[in-house]
Amino acid sequence: MPLDTSTYNLALLRVDGRRWNELRQQKAQMGVQPSADGSAYLEMGNTKIQCIISGPNERDTKSTSSASTAPTSGGQGATVAVSIMIAPFATVDRKRRGRNDKRVQEMQTTIASGLAAAVQGQSYGPRSTIHISLNVLSQDGSLLACLINAASLALVDAGVPMTDYLVACTAGSTSSYAAADEEADPLLDLNTQEEQELPFLTLATMGATDKVVAMVCESRVQLTRLEGMMATAADGCKGVRDFLDGVVRDKGELMVQEGAIGRGEVVSSMDLD
Amino acid sequence: MADRRRINGPVGATTPPIFDKPAAPAAAKTRDAIRKIFLKTGITPSASGSAYLELENPNPKRPGNTSLKLSCTVHGPRALPRSAPFSPHIILTTHVKYAPFATRQRRGYLRDSSERDLGVHLETALRGAIIADRWPKSGVDIIVTVVEGDQDRDSPESQKDDEGWDMMNVLSGCITVASAAIADAGIDCVDTVAGGVAALVCKDDKTAPTIVMDPIVAEHGSILAACCVAYLPTRDEITNMWFKGRLPGADMMVYDKLMEKSLVACRCANRVIVQELNETVRKGQGIS
Amino acid sequence: MSSTSQHLLLSPAELAYLHGSLSLITPGPIRPDGRSPTQFRPLTAETGILPGTNGSARICFADGTEAVVGVKAEVEKTPVSPYEFVASTEGRKDHTVTSTPQKKIRKSKKAPAATEGGEDEIAMEVDEDEEAAAAAALDKVRGSPDWVELSVEIPGLRDDDSGTIFLTSMLTEALLADGEFVKKLWINRRFHWKIYLDIILISPPLSYPLPLLSLTTHLALLATRLPRLKSEADEDPMFDDDWAAATFLYPRQDTSSGKAASSKSSKQTSTAAAAPPASRPPITLLVMAVGDNIIFDPSKEELAVADSAVAVSVAEGPSSESEPESESISATTTKRNLHLLSVRTIDPPSRLTPPGVPNSVNASAWGTMTAATAASAAAPASASASEAAAKHPDARVTETEDVVGVWKAPRGGAKFAMLGAMVAKVLERGGVAEEVLDGLEGVDLG
Repeated sequence: MPLDTSTYNLALLRVDGRRWNELRQQKAQMGVQPSADGSAYLEMGNTKIQCIISGPNERDTKSTSSASTAPTSGGQGATVAVSIMIAPFATVDRKRRGRNDKRVQEMQTTIASGLAAAVQGQSYGPRSTIHISLNVLSQDGSLLACLINAASLALVDAGVPMTDYLVACTAGSTSSYAAADEEADPLLDLNTQEEQELPFLTLATMGATDKVVAMVCESRVQLTRLEGMMATAADGCKGVRDFLDGVVRDKGELMVQEGAIGRGEVVSSMDLD
Repeated sequence: MADRRRINGPVGATTPPIFDKPAAPAAAKTRDAIRKIFLKTGITPSASGSAYLELENPNPKRPGNTSLKLSCTVHGPRALPRSAPFSPHIILTTHVKYAPFATRQRRGYLRDSSERDLGVHLETALRGAIIADRWPKSGVDIIVTVVEGDQDRDSPESQKDDEGWDMMNVLSGCITVASAAIADAGIDCVDTVAGGVAALVCKDDKTAPTIVMDPIVAEHGSILAACCVAYLPTRDEITNMWFKGRLPGADMMVYDKLMEKSLVACRCANRVIVQELNETVRKGQGIS
Repeated sequence: MSSTSQHLLLSPAELAYLHGSLSLITPGPIRPDGRSPTQFRPLTAETGILPGTNGSARICFADGTEAVVGVKAEVEKTPVSPYEFVASTEGRKDHTVTSTPQKKIRKSKKAPAATEGGEDEIAMEVDEDEEAAAAAALDKVRGSPDWVELSVEIPGLRDDDSGTIFLTSMLTEALLADGEFVKKLWINRRFHWKIYLDIILISPPLSYPLPLLSLTTHLALLATRLPRLKSEADEDPMFDDDWAAATFLYPRQDTSSGKAASSKSSKQTSTAAAAPPASRPPITLLVMAVGDNIIFDPSKEELAVADSAVAVSVAEGPSSESEPESESISATTTKRNLHLLSVRTIDPPSRLTPPGVPNSVNASAWGTMTAATAASAAAPASASASEAAAKHPDARVTETEDVVGVWKAPRGGAKFAMLGAMVAKVLERGGVAEEVLDGLEGVDLG
């Protein structure tokens, strides 16, 4: 039993010791790959993602065969191509996924269409492609959300204009569908154990706003509980946005200190203290 | 990847199992020559060039006295499709495919990783020999079918530790047969490339290991190392080399000797190619 | 297409210049980044990055390529072939009969008293005679190449692409060539470890990734730990839950305390621990030759003008006493005992580079009559081409001979002596392989 219902009701603590509205520990780094146009490394608990961006460059049809693509700005802008590689050693039991794994492809499509909404692609023209390659090194729940956050951070590193960070978070409910418990509390940021047992959804919002860009819910849950879960997830997204923003600002400050960029107009508008 | 396009035969052995006690291993004669090669070009009329190669089995236990049968066809040089990008050289594509019945273990119809690996080796060996810049914007396909792999079908079940040494012999045969087929297709080469194998074998733990040319895997107690070389005799150059095994590193001597022996094997094979090509030319002149 | 072909935008003139500076003899080759011919580019490495694996490593090369390797181990049942068992017992019985007939009689008296299965009977027999036991232990510990599964993932390439398969088989070959690695996976007669090595190139494939993947695999294997075995002999294996007690797949010399702990645990682990303390996983190095110069760790640009390229796999084994001739040398200076495991020539991408046109046959630069010659030299009919070449000696010269400063993709292969020299240079004492192994030794295994 991943979420021991009896003890949860008493202590309100989850298996890994968190409260219902706590995110897992996050770590992130930008520009981890000097040869790529943009890159980021993101850890959320034990889920570890590395994202590499190449492009925007001229569309080449050959290498996008296994990637999912989505056009930006209503077909007038660059295309976003996402490919996910889940390392066979990422899960507890080794599992090798083929190129055409349907679940992976579905995630690719979700991320591509989500990011296409955030990216201001019209500055590149319709014949260019931004390749986003996501490597999952370790997997422990909230995979889709982590992939979206990592891609968002890497896009910032690559200097691709976006309206805001596209951030995502998962939210679940403390009891299963069968329990039919109307009083069940929502839970934020689930790990694998919780995901396996409890109903959950992944919500992606545009920055700290409540604008929902993508929502994926594949488990059965009472409609009355859904609103609470969505609100919780949106709160989580806000937390994630603050975290990502902090990472970007730290990186910017570091670049100023190292003299990589002068304290010019662009930087002063970022309100660095 | 599973083959879903055709109805496949059952996976497993292609020969009935042998439960008999292992017979005393055939007295491995210390041959100082390679096995006899039968080579003939121009056997596939529909291809631009083709060749067929057989290796003799020196101590046969059943009627067919061969141990390796290869057939090679060359298609091209032909124009690349319009959609292909410009290439200043000929584009060489090599396929090596075992027939399903070629080895003791049945092979599927899709090329597996060892077959693809052999294909890469063959490509490297041939690319050095072909004068690629005389054929811009064109491509050539070289397809080698292994009709019989160099495996001993008479050894009992108990001695079936395949270590893949037979792949070396197959590769050297592929190189030789492909070289003859390319010459038959009239593609310009700097020389006829030929393949040869040498191995460091030891009978048992007591005797000192010796180096033999063209090793017959079943004949030797164990093979410590082997080396397959593709060689251009008149230029005295090596286009492809594949060595594997275990040698004490201080001993470059053994390694060098192994290489030298395999070069001797290449020269022997090359003599067969040259003889066969001469014969083809003579025949062609006789008719016209 | 070639396994090493990459998109490289260098003009024939640039290629000719690069080739010229790399094949200089008197001051030695001048490399674009100013390295010496045997110098490696700096790299960053770390191990133990993934707690969910038995061993993991990550290496970043200076050119920005990066690879991650994860090793996972599973316990698997060894399929027992009935034929194999019959053959091995017969062989062993024959052996005892011929060597010590009296003992054999004594044993056969004892055997029925044991009232156990056939397998155990033989095990007992062997245990009595210590010499036989030692021989049998060596004989028993056998591995199968099936116990190792290696996969390589290169972004943008399909996993059945011939380039990926070539890399996979080269790395697998190095690991399996001497048969020592799979012996480490032996648990008992009924069970073994199955090792999955998953190699992932994170960055886009900027240069030929072989050295990167090989070094990362080496580090991951060095960091690989397997749970300590608690059960004995041929029982179903039981393992120690304590990860801190897990033993390294490649035990290190300085961890004497760990070895002592494991040696009393059971017979099998003690044989494993007594096994070569200094053995190390293989490394594969890429060596290329330009002219008469041998160059290590070539960058993408350098590889584009290589006359030949070779991948050499070496491993470090225990100092062997069996070779009397080499002992005299090794006794004095032995630091590492390197074994050559595999050598493969690699198709250099230089063969696919576009050739330059010398002025003598370039219609736009020089003569008018030469235009016809150039055309006929390129005409794709061998017979007519050679005829035309006979008429115009100029064209023949440019077709077959090198013109200084004009790039031409290399033809033919490498000389025997050159290939030998490349391998020798890797293996020599104090050479590059030792240097690389020393460098990797410095990586903290967490």
